[in-house]
Amino acid sequence: MNQWIAVGALALMGVGIPLGMIAVSSLIRPSVPEQGKSSTYESGEIPTKSAIGIQFNIQYYMVALLFVVFDIETVLLFPWTVIYQPALESGVGLMTLLFPMLVFIGVLVIGLVWAWRQGAVKWARSEAATRRKTEHNS
Amino acid sequence: MAAFDYAPAIVLLPFVSFLVSLGAALYGDDVLPKGGALAGIVATAGSLILSLWVFFTVSAGNVYNQTIYTWTTGAGAAGEEALELTFGLLLDPLSSMMLIIVSLVALLVHVFSLGYMNDEGETGLPRYYAGLGLFSASMLGFVVAHNILMAFMFFELVGLCSFLLIGFWFREPGPPSAAKKAFLVTRFGDYFFLVGVVAIFATFGTGRFAGAESFPVLAEEVLAGEVAVNTFGFAPTTWFTVVGLLVLGGVIGKSAQFPLHTWLPDAMEGPTPVSALIHAATMVAAGVYLVARMYGFYAVSPTALAVIALVGGFTALVAATMGVVKREIKQVLAYSTISQYGYMMLALGAGGYVAATFHLLTHAFFKALLFLGAGSVIIAMHHNENMWDMGGLKDRMPVTYWTFLSGSLALAGIIPFAGFWSKDEVLYEALVHGLGTDGGLGTIFLVAYAFGLLAVFFTGFYTFRMVFLTFHGDARTGQARDPEGVGWNVKGPLAVLGVLAAVTGFVNMTPVADLFDLDIEYLHRWLEGPEGVEFMSALSAHHYLELLESDVTGIHAAELDPLIPGGVSLLLALAGVGLAYALYGRGEPEEYTAKLGGVQDLLYNNYYQDEYQVAIAERVVLPLSRAADKFDQSGVDGVVNGVSSVSLFSGSRVRRVQTGLVSNYAALVTLGLTVLLVAFGIYGGWLL
Amino acid sequence: MVVYPDWAALAPALALAVTGLVLLLIDSVDPDDSRPGLLAGTAVVGTLVSLGYAGWFLASGTGQVDGGTGAISLYRDALVVDGMALFFQAVFAVVTALVCIASYDYLKERAYQAEFYSLVMFAATGMAVMATANSLATAFIALELASLPSYALVAFLKHNRGSVEASLKYFLIGALSSAVFAFGISLVYAATGSLLLADVASALSALDGGLTGVAAIGVLMVAGGFAFKTASVPFHFWAPEAYEGAPAPISAFLSSASKAAGFAVLFRVFTTAFPLDAAGVDWMLLFQVLAVVTMTLGNFAAATQETVKRMLAYSSIGHAGYALIGLAAWSGGAPGSVENGAVLGASMAHLLVYGFMNTGAFLFVALAEQWDVGRTFEDYAGLGSRAPMASVAMTVFMFSLAGVPPFGGFFSKLFLFAGAVDAGFWWLAAVGVVNSTLSLYYYSRVVKALWVDDPVGEFELGGTPTGLYVAVVFAAVGTLLLLPGFAPVIETAQSVAAALVP
Repeated sequence: MNQWIAVGALALMGVGIPLGMIAVSSLIRPSVPEQGKSSTYESGEIPTKSAIGIQFNIQYYMVALLFVVFDIETVLLFPWTVIYQPALESGVGLMTLLFPMLVFIGVLVIGLVWAWRQGAVKWARSEAATRRKTEHNS
Repeated sequence: MAAFDYAPAIVLLPFVSFLVSLGAALYGDDVLPKGGALAGIVATAGSLILSLWVFFTVSAGNVYNQTIYTWTTGAGAAGEEALELTFGLLLDPLSSMMLIIVSLVALLVHVFSLGYMNDEGETGLPRYYAGLGLFSASMLGFVVAHNILMAFMFFELVGLCSFLLIGFWFREPGPPSAAKKAFLVTRFGDYFFLVGVVAIFATFGTGRFAGAESFPVLAEEVLAGEVAVNTFGFAPTTWFTVVGLLVLGGVIGKSAQFPLHTWLPDAMEGPTPVSALIHAATMVAAGVYLVARMYGFYAVSPTALAVIALVGGFTALVAATMGVVKREIKQVLAYSTISQYGYMMLALGAGGYVAATFHLLTHAFFKALLFLGAGSVIIAMHHNENMWDMGGLKDRMPVTYWTFLSGSLALAGIIPFAGFWSKDEVLYEALVHGLGTDGGLGTIFLVAYAFGLLAVFFTGFYTFRMVFLTFHGDARTGQARDPEGVGWNVKGPLAVLGVLAAVTGFVNMTPVADLFDLDIEYLHRWLEGPEGVEFMSALSAHHYLELLESDVTGIHAAELDPLIPGGVSLLLALAGVGLAYALYGRGEPEEYTAKLGGVQDLLYNNYYQDEYQVAIAERVVLPLSRAADKFDQSGVDGVVNGVSSVSLFSGSRVRRVQTGLVSNYAALVTLGLTVLLVAFGIYGGWLL
Repeated sequence: MVVYPDWAALAPALALAVTGLVLLLIDSVDPDDSRPGLLAGTAVVGTLVSLGYAGWFLASGTGQVDGGTGAISLYRDALVVDGMALFFQAVFAVVTALVCIASYDYLKERAYQAEFYSLVMFAATGMAVMATANSLATAFIALELASLPSYALVAFLKHNRGSVEASLKYFLIGALSSAVFAFGISLVYAATGSLLLADVASALSALDGGLTGVAAIGVLMVAGGFAFKTASVPFHFWAPEAYEGAPAPISAFLSSASKAAGFAVLFRVFTTAFPLDAAGVDWMLLFQVLAVVTMTLGNFAAATQETVKRMLAYSSIGHAGYALIGLAAWSGGAPGSVENGAVLGASMAHLLVYGFMNTGAFLFVALAEQWDVGRTFEDYAGLGSRAPMASVAMTVFMFSLAGVPPFGGFFSKLFLFAGAVDAGFWWLAAVGVVNSTLSLYYYSRVVKALWVDDPVGEFELGGTPTGLYVAVVFAAVGTLLLLPGFAPVIETAQSVAAALVP
């Protein structure tokens, strides 16, 4: 009995169940085509345009990137905080324990300061966005 | 020895003159008097004086073989010595003799250039003299080089200088393309040379020419079974032959041997003094000198010797036949150069080390003389080089005529001028070794000898056709009737060389020595080198003879009286001269056609002469020349063009793969990786 | 005597990283790039400090076997500082310094200068770490650290369609190669259970037969990842486009330093981690094939190009082929033996010489772009008389690249080919020589255009950019000085290469 068979079975199940559900539901559901079903849901508002080809403001990406950076920082920081106290107690020097993390955060801070000064977090109003907003309101 | 301490200056002096002229050329034209000629004259004169000093020191029994500067020491393989790349001097009888030839001819060419370039009001003189200085310096450096890598570097510098000087008049259409051709064709050979240099270093771990650790000596010891070297899986004899032939590639290119001789006639586009320098003492001589320098290496490889002899003999004949139909005076001289260097190669191949060196010596003088004489004629003719426009210059330029005649007699090999003695010895060596050696090698020598002997006739013919057309008969154009006078700076070098062309042969009169049992073979004794110096024993003519007669090579000389072959070749030369006289010496070789409506008898005779001339020129020589030319164009050039078009074609195919579509790239990357995976998987046995 | 902590051995890499951060700080204080001199100056000083450290360590024997401390292992063997790492770090620092000096003029009047320099610094940091990487994981991270800034730098001229397109292609092929590389690493890990090079080597030697295939595919895929970085066939497709589209100093940076970094890690990983007899794949044969194909393809394609920059791009591929001879003729002898060092060291020395001459050549192209004379060979006609200094330098680069004596490139090729012949691969050397011959053709086209050809029309050169001139002339002087100075270089390279195998 090969233990890989279990892995294979799991993979089969993982792919099979969603596919099966889609297949079953498409077989047994009643088919009532209606315009409202294919239109975009906008919290009750009547959609004005198609969602295809819409352009997001580039600044969303900037914020997202900054977020990812700090997200990853947390991933590193979290285990470090967990072992910090026990390690200190078991006699690891403060320098060995604290300094590398300070350097790491320092590097990130430099990046953040730079991004800040470059205006990455300043939500500038792009002319296009303003225009769209005014058109929508009127 | 003090002379040896100053020996590096022989090379450095012309180099300094190059720097001075170069500085002047960069600064502007008018800073140096005479456009830099004086610096060059002083420098080459200094080199000549030092060379003479070295010569006398060597004749006093001293030789020199020292490293001056080590520029790289590599990591050697375990148990072997590290590879060292060095600069150093080897001053022995051969190189000290060559030093005098080179520095003397360079000096005379510099002086002559005063008349040919300065007095003619050429522009760009500093550039010209800078080129001459560097040319002389690199050739002198090549001559004294004590290892093959240093020799290669100076060899390449010589090639570069010839490129610069042949293309001196770069604004005209001809010279740049001639310069390019010279550069490319010699470079073609040089790549073989380069591979040969690498092979020598890889095989022997050294590039030294002389000493116990030099590669000719090592090769000899390997064949004697005393030491072992890495011969890359070949038998030592085979491998040494391969290496020797690789180096020979460079020699054939530089010394303009068949089939790489094509650059040389085109190189006539350069200024005439440069032609003299290239042909007599520097570039073309470099190839032959290299073979002589490492003769100990060639002497143990019968196959390489056979190739050298055959190439030499064949070149001597083919070039001589081509020289017969040329119209320009310099073209005739160009083909004669190819032909004469063919003789030297023939001698080297056939085991006549001394004969080859002897011919190198005499040829340097008489060919320099002929070129400078031609230059003088060209000045007089206002740079018209067509011999059919000349005639009757004998009375108007007596100095040029008599010196030129001396050179021509030497070239044609008429006793007692220099060329007779050396050419006779070349042919004699080829003949006796051909008769005395068994098997195919002896036959090859005999064939090469036959080529060489036949070429003697053509040499006599074209030489005196040139002399008669240029100097004899009546003047055929206004220019020839009223030539421009030439100054002392032209006549001086001519006179010096005229005397030398007449008397140099006396240093090695082998037939006379045999006839009267005299001990007058001075050159032979000179090349034996001083007794008692350790490394000289492997460089002496005597040692080379031993190598040739050893079992490895197996070349032996037959007993033969030198008088008979000497007489035969002299007769052939005289026959050539006589034929030239019959066809061109009397009357006016071309103008009779204008008198066609006149005297009937004359017409008949002329017609007869015309037919005869046409028969020789068109039925025999022209097809032969054409065939050679055709082979040149379709065979050799075809191969060269073919190689470049193949690479360009496949280059454009490669380029087409680069479509610019990134998805194609990704597909190709994946495909390439898959191919590698599959191929190595199957090869490694873990796939399938 | 002061005892330095072990991590101080990373000073050449740290200097570059700190410089990059300092540049970001300067930019934070002054976001408008109002003092380009300060930015360029900081970058150059940083690289020179890095070069100084690398040179000092090399001279004082840090991390070296002969008369030094022996290789210094850091962070549980994830990094190692030895002679080879320092040698390559010196190469990167030199090239980066030249690029930064030249960029001062090239970037004039352009926005985002601080970002440019800091990206260059971070990429250089990545390369410096690549040279020290002693585990497949650090090798991967360092490779990405070097690559990601490079993608951005290629797209630096963001209003130039060519630049952006080149960057995107570079990025996509880079992503593909990274995937291949990471996959390869995972397979090697699967087979050996370790990412540390030394452990991988010992595990491979004790591998049971069933996993040979897995390890072998992994090794081949790792080789593919490095082939991308060194622009070797078949991962070379990005190179011509990226080099042509990128700003010329960045082309110089990528084709010299980045390529050398790829070789640094390639040499270390293959000689240390994958023993020739146990890797399941005859990687010497693999690199022989790659070397021959790469140099031939690079040279043949270069011969047919019309623009100088693209010709240089293909010639750079060709040179990758020459450098591969270092591994292709690796004889796999006894550890630390001289034979092993000879050809590998020659390859390293070639990369150093190449760093000077190729950077210089691309910087000359940058100069020509600055003058706006055009991009084809014909457009360079007549530059010789108008800018003689730079043209002389370019002539030196071209002849040196072709391997014509008496320039630096001749010796490095001579030693490389001689090393190959010594190792018994005379045919590799022969292919190399034939390719060099062919390369002379297209290199001399540039020289001919510079000096011989007459310009098509009249044109004026707009000024003489000092920084670019300095960098070009310095590179030329470097190329020439490597002639008398080649002895110490080759000795160092060969001794550190011989010490590579533990």
